[in-house]
Amino acid sequence: MSSNSPLWLKAVHKIERAVGEPIEAAVRTDTYFDVVTKATRATSKAKRTVVATSTRVLHVLNLPADSDVRRMREQLTRMERRLNRLSEDVSELDGSPRDRSRD
Amino acid sequence: MPPVLNPLDLVGRVNRDVERSLLRARNGVRYVRGSNRPSVGATPKEVVWKRGKAELWRYRNGTVRYGPPVLIVHSLVSRSYILDLRPGNSLVEYLTGAGLDVFMLDWGVPDELDADNDLERYVDWYLPRAVAAVRRETGSDEVTLMGYCLGGVLATLYAAGHDDAPVRNIILMATPVDFGEMGAMVALLREGRLNADELVDDTGNVPADALYSGFYMQAPTAEVAQKATLLENLWNDEFVEGFQAMAQWSRDHVPFPGAVFRQLVEEFVRKNVLMTGSMRLGDRKVNLADARGNVLNAMAERDNVVPPAAVEPVMQLVGDPAKREELRLKGGHVTFGTGRSAVKQTMPRLAGWIIEHSDERPEVEEP
Repeated sequence: MSSNSPLWLKAVHKIERAVGEPIEAAVRTDTYFDVVTKATRATSKAKRTVVATSTRVLHVLNLPADSDVRRMREQLTRMERRLNRLSEDVSELDGSPRDRSRD
Repeated sequence: MPPVLNPLDLVGRVNRDVERSLLRARNGVRYVRGSNRPSVGATPKEVVWKRGKAELWRYRNGTVRYGPPVLIVHSLVSRSYILDLRPGNSLVEYLTGAGLDVFMLDWGVPDELDADNDLERYVDWYLPRAVAAVRRETGSDEVTLMGYCLGGVLATLYAAGHDDAPVRNIILMATPVDFGEMGAMVALLREGRLNADELVDDTGNVPADALYSGFYMQAPTAEVAQKATLLENLWNDEFVEGFQAMAQWSRDHVPFPGAVFRQLVEEFVRKNVLMTGSMRLGDRKVNLADARGNVLNAMAERDNVVPPAAVEPVMQLVGDPAKREELRLKGGHVTFGTGRSAVKQTMPRLAGWIIEHSDERPEVEEP
């Protein structure tokens, strides 16, 4: 911030630092990292519980659940990845065509 | 005694303030509406090689006077346009303007297809092919590698792990090797806290939002001061454009491929393996001291993302001790790409070092 900045701007910067510095110090403490770890795990556990319940209900109704769709998507991704690697191998054997475009 | 105000000065000041207020109103509406977005990554370029999401760009910005060509290896967590942010404030533009032949290896935006990309995939598959493409394009026998942040780790492992790596120079910009000094950026991932898999989503990658939160929490209130500075300078088109470009980049993270993230957590953060001077890559041991070429270890003194203490050990670990040099710069993590001190200090010093360790081309050639 330059020395000829208006007073209001200097005040905002001063207040921001007065508030920001203790917050920045707090989010660098072990306590903060432990809390975030526990909160992340608790959120994941809650999500898993909800998903497991909804999956059971959907399966009782003979409907696919999110986990089924996800498994299917993972299988397709694995397949697509293998195809991509094979096509890379083939194009390298061919002498790799170059994709040129201007920006 | 208070200074006597000249009536002409007073009129001049009123005129200036009225003019600025009008400009503030116009730019304020544009800013809120989100129109008039700044053009980023504007240096003319051409895609010369592409595999998966990775693209190799060759910049076209004047006469090439020096060789070997410069290959920038970008980080895996951010967008590469930080190194070509805006005309007049771009490392790429500066280097090409200085007569260097510049290429950028951009990793694109990973999705589920990239979730199993590990270090070996980047170091042993993409990088050798990208280097070969640079050599094919330019006819040069060697390259100058320039790695930014984690891109510097990839460049180092490539130069150290390949006997035939044709590397004349390696410039490491804010490249962490001592992850014990990375502070708050990696504290959540240390032993006993979050495991890598707890941050990986359904696509198999760490979502960009999680990375953004990590950076945001470094200074959660800073945005207030930045917005106040913007308000004061809202009349200044150039300031607003620069602010918008930087704000866009700082929110524009990309997902981190899950496999390489697991390696980063286990090997780099928890075992701090790079500090031993070697690491296992595939079925072999890579010694960092085997990295070919002259090494320039560039660090920014006020870098909160990769603090100098995490970068300094490069001088004891990477390459031949007789070929290592250190460059300390003012500024923060983005001083390598943008900012007043970048244009005045960082870019000239980096370009100067590269030119000093390059050859003048006998024939002037327009790329």
